[in-house]
Parts: sequence; C-alpha cells; structure tokens
Amino acid sequence: MGFSLAAALTILLNTALAWAKDSYAPLNSFMKALTGHHWTTHGLVDLVVFFGLGLVFMKSPWIEKINPARVVPILIGSVVAASLGLGLWYVFF
Amino acid sequence: MAATWVFVEVLNASPRNAARIRRAALFAALSMAAAWVLGGYWYVHYYSPEKAMILKGPWPFAHNLFMETKEHLFFATAILAFLLPIACREELYANAVARKLVLSVSAMVVITGLALEGAGAVIDHGVKVALLRGPGKGN
Repeated sequence: MGFSLAAALTILLNTALAWAKDSYAPLNSFMKALTGHHWTTHGLVDLVVFFGLGLVFMKSPWIEKINPARVVPILIGSVVAASLGLGLWYVFF
Repeated sequence: MAATWVFVEVLNASPRNAARIRRAALFAALSMAAAWVLGGYWYVHYYSPEKAMILKGPWPFAHNLFMETKEHLFFATAILAFLLPIACREELYANAVARKLVLSVSAMVVITGLALEGAGAVIDHGVKVALLRGPGKGN
C-alpha cells in the first residue's frame, strides 16, 4: 500500500513539476544544467520520489490506519487528475 | 502488451498462476525501463531538429500539445509499470483489494500507453506534413 500511495503522489508531483518548469524558466534551466536535459532530470526526480516515498511509507506506522479499499480510487483519481492537468495545461498555456 | 498479459492473468488469479503473474509484472516493468532508456536517448539526442520542423510547419500543435503532454505523461505510465511487480507480491488469489489494485494499475498502464502511442502518431504526422507542405504555409 505504501508504494501505491507513493505512486499517486509522484504522479501528481510529476504534473506539478511540468507546470513549474513551464512557468518558471530558471527552474527549467537549472534542471537542464543538472543532467544536460530537463526531461532527464524530471524523470530522475520522479524515480527518487517514488522509491523514496514508497520506502518511507512502507515503514510508517500510520499507513496501517488507511483503509486499503481507498487506495485504488486515490490512485485512479491521481492519474486522471494528472493527465487532465497536463493536457489542459498545454491546450491553454 | 505485458500489462495486458498481467490484467488477463489477474482476472483468473489462482495459486497456479501466481508465479506467472509476478514474472509478467516484472517483464512489464523491465520493458518500461527499456522504453525509458532507449526512447529517452532518442528524444534527448535526436528530437530537436524534428521539433524545429514541426514548429515551422502547419501542425505546430503536434509538438506544443501532443509532444509536451506525451513527454510528461510517459513518467506517469512508467511509475505505474514500476508499481506492478511491487503490487503483485501479494497473494492476489486470496486478496480481493490487492487484485483490484493490480487490475486497475495494469489497465491504466494499457490506457495511458495507448494514449502515448496515439500522441506519437500525431507527432510523427506533424513532421510529415511539415516536410510535405514546407514551413510557413499555414493550415
């Protein structure tokens, strides 16, 4: 369950980072400077956040308090919101 | 395709196919990692000239909308694919919630994967129409 919640958060963060890169050019330049391409850095950030949060959540006692049946709607909701967030962003901005 | 395989196997989850489900999920994750490395290498090193062509051609939205969305939505598909083998560690035949999770994740990998493929087709066509009609001729 920990990694499922980590995936939901990472997918939302992924969209938020795409918005931030587009809105704030210095962030895009900084990410490009780190690995040579902003997309490479973006992917690495997503990977680190996913596996990092997953390991942290797995060992957190509060994760047991979450109803497992709620994880699927949370994950589906995050994917739908993140996908629409990306699509609409590039339509209007 | 590997995610479709996982989906179908999990619809019929039992102790007999538990190991096969885990292998299929791992295969899906490894395939996605390979797509990330190989497709990413191509995108980072060779896409720029095509991007310039698309932006000067009659279909600039092929980059501004479809490529921009695709290059970021890809990460969501990849994270879902990496979640698959982790979620498949549960005994799916005995755990309805875990089974529902794996079915949902594999379905989302397939759906978002098809959306990425469709976006790829539009981007590809954006280059073709730019080459056929030349830059700056409008729609």
